[in-house]
Amino acid sequence: MIKILIVDDEKPICDLIDMNLSAAGYSCVAVQDGIAAIDAIEKNTFDLVLLDIMLPGADGYDVMEYIRPYKIPVIFISAKHEVRDRVKGLKLGADDYLIKPFDITELLARVEAVLRRYNKTESRLVIGDVEIDIEARRVTRAGNPVALTSKEFDLLLLFVENRNVALFRENLYEKVWEDEYYANSRTLDLHVQRLRKKLGWEHELVAVYKVGYRLEVK
Amino acid sequence: MKFSLKLLLWTIMVIALTLGLSGFYFVNYVFETALEREIDQALDENSILRFAFETAALNVPVKYDLLSDGSIEQIASNLETGSQSASRLLRLSDEEKTVLYASDGFETDDALLLQTEENQYSYRVIRLGERFYVQTARSVDALGRVLYLETLRDVSQVFEERDMGFRVYRRMTVLMLLLGSVIMYVISSRLAKPIRLLMDATKKMAAGDYSYRAKQVSSDELGQLTQDFNHMAEALENTIDKLEDEIQAREEFVGAFAHELKTPLTSIIGYADMLRSRKLDEEKSFLSANYIYTEGKRLEAMSLRLLDIIVAKKGSADLRKVSAGSLFEYLRSMFGMNENMEFVYSYEPATVLADFGLIQTVLVNLVDNASKASEPGSRIEIQGHRVQDGYRFTVRDFGIGIPEEEVSKITQAFYMVDKSRARSKNGAGLGLALCTEILALHGSKLEIDSTPGEGTLVGFLLREEGKEAGDEEIQS
Repeated sequence: MIKILIVDDEKPICDLIDMNLSAAGYSCVAVQDGIAAIDAIEKNTFDLVLLDIMLPGADGYDVMEYIRPYKIPVIFISAKHEVRDRVKGLKLGADDYLIKPFDITELLARVEAVLRRYNKTESRLVIGDVEIDIEARRVTRAGNPVALTSKEFDLLLLFVENRNVALFRENLYEKVWEDEYYANSRTLDLHVQRLRKKLGWEHELVAVYKVGYRLEVK
Repeated sequence: MKFSLKLLLWTIMVIALTLGLSGFYFVNYVFETALEREIDQALDENSILRFAFETAALNVPVKYDLLSDGSIEQIASNLETGSQSASRLLRLSDEEKTVLYASDGFETDDALLLQTEENQYSYRVIRLGERFYVQTARSVDALGRVLYLETLRDVSQVFEERDMGFRVYRRMTVLMLLLGSVIMYVISSRLAKPIRLLMDATKKMAAGDYSYRAKQVSSDELGQLTQDFNHMAEALENTIDKLEDEIQAREEFVGAFAHELKTPLTSIIGYADMLRSRKLDEEKSFLSANYIYTEGKRLEAMSLRLLDIIVAKKGSADLRKVSAGSLFEYLRSMFGMNENMEFVYSYEPATVLADFGLIQTVLVNLVDNASKASEPGSRIEIQGHRVQDGYRFTVRDFGIGIPEEEVSKITQAFYMVDKSRARSKNGAGLGLALCTEILALHGSKLEIDSTPGEGTLVGFLLREEGKEAGDEEIQS
C-alpha cells in the first residue's frame, strides 16, 4: 500500500487530507510540525510527502532540504500563493505545488499524477471486468478493447480516481473540458451515457439528484 | 553650457575688452603728445626759416623796391641746403599763391596754402606715399612783398611708434588672455566644483541611491547649498525609509492576512465538499461539521478583531475621566470566575484620562495573554501605580516568556510566538496589534519586558487627570 506523510500545522487540514486519501486507498500518517516530520521520515519509508511551508519547529523549506537525499516525491501545500514562493518550492525539488484552499478532487489528481510519474501507482486499474491502462490510454472490457474518445477516457479516469464520491457537474466539466460550465449544457450527460453504454455501467454510474454523478463500486 | 565654461568666457571677454580699451587709449595718448610736439617743432622751424628768409632778403642788393622772384628763389634754395640737417622741404609762393620755389619731393596740394591768410599761420598732418608729414604755412614779409612759406616735417616715426605700440599691445593682450584663460580655468573649475558634486549627487539620488551625500568643499553660499541639499536628502531618505517600512509592513500584513484567511477556508471548503459529495459515517460527518463550525468561528473572531483594529485606527478615543478603581473592578468581575489562575490586584486610587471601553479591551487582552502564557494555577499580578509621568498599569505573569528576538514583532498583526499553542487557544495573533492601536489613540504605547522561562511584564502609561507636568511625551 502506498504510504503518504502529511505535514501541516493545522489539525483540521491534516484530518481532511487524511480522510480523503485514506478513502482513496492510501495509507496516511499526519504530523503537525517540522521536527516531527523529520523524525517520521527517519523512522519510516514514505512514497510521498505532502508538505506545508509555514510550520512550527522547522519550516517546509528546511524539511524539504532534509527530505531531498531520500528521493521521496514531495507536494507543497501552502497558502503562500505568490509566484516566487511557488518557484522557490519547485526549485528546491518539489514535484508539485498546491495552493490553499484546494479542491479535494484536485489534490487527489495531483497525488495520483506525481505517484504515476514515479511509477508508484499501478498504471493498470481494474474495476470489475473493466481494465484501464493509464499509460497507453487503453480500456478493455472482459478482454475486448473498448474504443473511447479522449474526453470519455478523461472522464472515466476522473470517476475511477474518485470512486464512491459524488462528483459535481460543474467540477467534472471544468476538469475534463477545461472550460467554464454552462447550466444547460448537455455535453457532460451525453458523454456519461456513452460511457455507461460502452462499459456496461448502467448501474455503476449513478446520477445524483441536483449534484452530478457517482461511480459506485464495492 | 557649463557654468565653469561660462565663467571662463565672460572673464576672458572682460579682460580682452579692458586690455584693448586701455591699450588703445594709452598708445593713442602717447601718439598724440608726440605728434603735438612734432607740430610745435615744425611751427618753430617754420618761424626760424621765416626769420632766416627775412634776414636774407634784407641782404639782397635791391635794384628795385621790390624783391624779385629770382632773388626769392635764390634765398629759398640757400635756405633749403644751408641748414645742418640733411635737407629741408620748403615751398615759397607769392601774393597770388603761385608757387615760386619748391623743394624736390614737396608734392602736396594747395589746400593749406589757400586757406592761409596774411600774418597767419596754419598747419596740417598729411600723408605722402608711405610717409607722414606736418605741413606748415606762414606769411613772410620781405621788402614789401607778402610771400607764403611752407615747410614739411617728416613725422613718420611718430606714426610708426604708434603702430609699434599697437602691435606690442596686441601681443601682450593675446598673451594676457592666454595666461588669464589658464588661471581662470583653474579658478572657475574650482568654483564650480560644489555644483558638479551636487549634480552628481542629484543624479545618484534620481537613480534611487538615497543614501548618497554630496561632499562639502567650500564654506560659501554653494557650501551652504550643499549642506542644505544634504539635509534635504537626509529628510527624503528618512521619509522614503519610513514609506518602505510601511509598505513592507502592509505587505506582510496582507500576506499574513491571506494566510490566516485561507487556512480556515481550506478546512471549511474541504469538509463541506466531503459532506456534500460523499456518504460518510456518523462519526466522520460529525467531525466534518464540527470542523466547519470551529473554523467558521475562528474566521468570525478574526474578522471581528480586524474590524476593531480598523475602527481603532480610524477613530479617535473619547477621553474622559475614569477612575482606575473602576477598571480594576471590571477586571476582577471579568476574571473572577476563572479559578485556574491566581489573580492578584494592587492599585493606588487615581483618576486617569481614558476611553473606558477601549482601555477595558486592552486590559482584558493583556490579562488574557498572561493567562494563556502561564501554567494553570500560577500567579498573575495586575497593578496600577502613580508614577512621575502619569498612571502606570502593569500585568505580570510567571509563564513561558517571550524570546528576546520576538519581542519587537509581537505587536504585529497575525504574529504568534507559538503558533500551534496560540491556535489551540483560538488566537489569531491580533490582540496586541489591537492594544497597540488603542494605546496610540491615548498617546501611549505598550512596554514589554520579558525573560523566557521566567515570565513577562507588560505595561502602559495613561495621563492622570489634573496633572499637566511631564505629560508632553504622552500627548504626542
